Amino acid sequence: MDGPGELDFSLRYPFSSSAKALLESKGTQLSERLVELAMERIKQSLNGTLAKSSALHEEGKFEEITTFAVARMILGHLRNSYLINKFAVEESKRMHAYLNTEPEHVVNKVGAELGVEAQVDGNRFLMDIPVFLSYAPKSVHYRLINREISNGKVAVSKEERKRLMEEAARKRMEKIPLVRDPPDMIKKAGKELLELLPKPKLPSINAKPGDHPPCVDKLLEAVKKHQNLPHTARWFLATYMIAIGMSDEQIIAVYSNLPDYSERITKYQVEHARKKGYSVPSCATVSTYGLCVANCRVGIPINWHTRDVPKEESK
Amino acid sequence: MNDKERQFIIKKFASYYSEASFGIPYIENREFGIGNKKKIDARHLSFFNEDDFKRYLAQNTPLFVSHSIAYYEFPGATPIQKKQRTGADLVFDLDIHAEGKYGAYEKLDEVKADTIRLAKEFIIGDFAVKEEDVKIVFSGNRGYHIHVTDPRFRTLGGDERKEIVDYIKGNGLDYMQFFHEEEIGPRLKRLTGPKPDEDGYRGRLARALVRTLEEKPSLISRKFAKENERELFISGIKEGNWSKTTFRSSELLKRLGKVAESLPVRAVDTDAAVTHDMSKLIRVPNSIHGDTGLIAKIVDDIEKFEPFRDAVIPSSNTMKVQFLEDVPSFKFMDSTTETHKKDEQKELPEPLAVLYTLKGSATFI
Repeated sequence: MDGPGELDFSLRYPFSSSAKALLESKGTQLSERLVELAMERIKQSLNGTLAKSSALHEEGKFEEITTFAVARMILGHLRNSYLINKFAVEESKRMHAYLNTEPEHVVNKVGAELGVEAQVDGNRFLMDIPVFLSYAPKSVHYRLINREISNGKVAVSKEERKRLMEEAARKRMEKIPLVRDPPDMIKKAGKELLELLPKPKLPSINAKPGDHPPCVDKLLEAVKKHQNLPHTARWFLATYMIAIGMSDEQIIAVYSNLPDYSERITKYQVEHARKKGYSVPSCATVSTYGLCVANCRVGIPINWHTRDVPKEESK
Repeated sequence: MNDKERQFIIKKFASYYSEASFGIPYIENREFGIGNKKKIDARHLSFFNEDDFKRYLAQNTPLFVSHSIAYYEFPGATPIQKKQRTGADLVFDLDIHAEGKYGAYEKLDEVKADTIRLAKEFIIGDFAVKEEDVKIVFSGNRGYHIHVTDPRFRTLGGDERKEIVDYIKGNGLDYMQFFHEEEIGPRLKRLTGPKPDEDGYRGRLARALVRTLEEKPSLISRKFAKENERELFISGIKEGNWSKTTFRSSELLKRLGKVAESLPVRAVDTDAAVTHDMSKLIRVPNSIHGDTGLIAKIVDDIEKFEPFRDAVIPSSNTMKVQFLEDVPSFKFMDSTTETHKKDEQKELPEPLAVLYTLKGSATFI
């Protein structure tokens, strides 16, 4: 099984060094058309329709690789965290979709590119612990403590390795260098994009520090910055917001800040959580999710509101 | 501590520092902090090399001196964002909190045992860090620090370091995930689980169970008091087959909870946050702890190390002190100290007199 040629590889993995080298060797002039296509690419990541490439000819493929770079220019100019996170999430998902179709050696090549190296061990892989820690999604399933470890390495399945690569790609694509004083075309495109942005809504929950337990504060902080949250964190936050008496609309408004927000799915999940009457998980469970950030000894995060205000320890 | 005592003690420290060696890796990239009234009064200091640092200690001689766990491009710059962090050691702080100024000294052996487990089982074992990249240091008072300088861990972020702390402290352990039941015939299931020779918590759990079965089988079930039943079960576990018993799987897994509780290293102090907060400073190895006058000594052979013998600045002098409060006895040098009552006057070996004075329990007369 052969993998893609150099051009196709760059098309599928436009963040790779070979894509960069290709762009540098060809040297392209910025044009209205390229900016327009780049805008289209960003818009697709905003509404979750970013798909694999449909370019057939060499020219079209090269153009598409260029749009990735131009999109980064626009984002580097705007420095809007919502846009950047959304872009990184969707582009890394696109990469994952490509990986699912690739022969092993291509997956390895992309892995090496992303610093997610792993050695083959039968039908699974062994990954250095620091590498695993750097790119493991935040979920119970990926907690180091419950993983099989051997000689400083963590065993991961083929699928898990790709998931880690997706996380590595997302982290890499979130890093966009600042573009100072870009050409007018880019400035104009940036303005247009900003108008498309949902207005950030953080109703009643937008509180003073200390109004919520530290674990909730930290999650809300992440939401405000439009960072991606693992499923367990979303679920915990939902049970919490329901428990403190927020309406579905208010809760959905909070989640609308997430980079992969979908109104339909969020609405369903929030309504479902309320209907089922899930209670706020205990601190022990929150800790199992890896979301506990302090030692406030309240037992259940919701008890934060009825806790005894801790007395100054006598010395 | 009055001026006369301070002058005397500072002179002792300075004389130790004139002969001391520190071997701080990447000293030029570390931020330093010093303290006299508290552990850190001033930070953002930096030094070009060890000689430069020693000169500073000889001239200024603080009671406490610490360095950053992080490496910086510009360690002396402020605010901290301008320092430009390039990485950080992985550092662990182990101690046990106890009542009173001297309570923890009785438990130092427990902390030492945990330090050994953390270094050997977790850091060198599970994380495969080379022994030369692991430095164990007596804290100078009631615990130990472990500095890991393995470059693989240097660039980890705060969240990843926190995951390592959780790993060591056992937070989030769900050992049920180590087991699965396989259908091996009609109405016949086999419970597959970890083997004792595995690394990580899987192997740790299997070994701890085998040990419990051999030493105190009744903790699991009276069934295992019978040798043949026990041996059969253990022989299965060694192959990862946990079904060689008439004991019900679900009940067995439940009872493993007690065994699982013994697996983590509990003495790792997370309040101090030195592992995951990379802006923290840690006592400079081989410097003196200003609350005790003991050396925060780099330990070569932890098994043989006795802090109150090996971390004492040697002296053949004696000094007369008067006690300001009651003081319990504890092991010091090659004997055990006496208990002392408030107002009692006593001639003591100099290191002990200095320790009591620094702790505010006695005064020179």
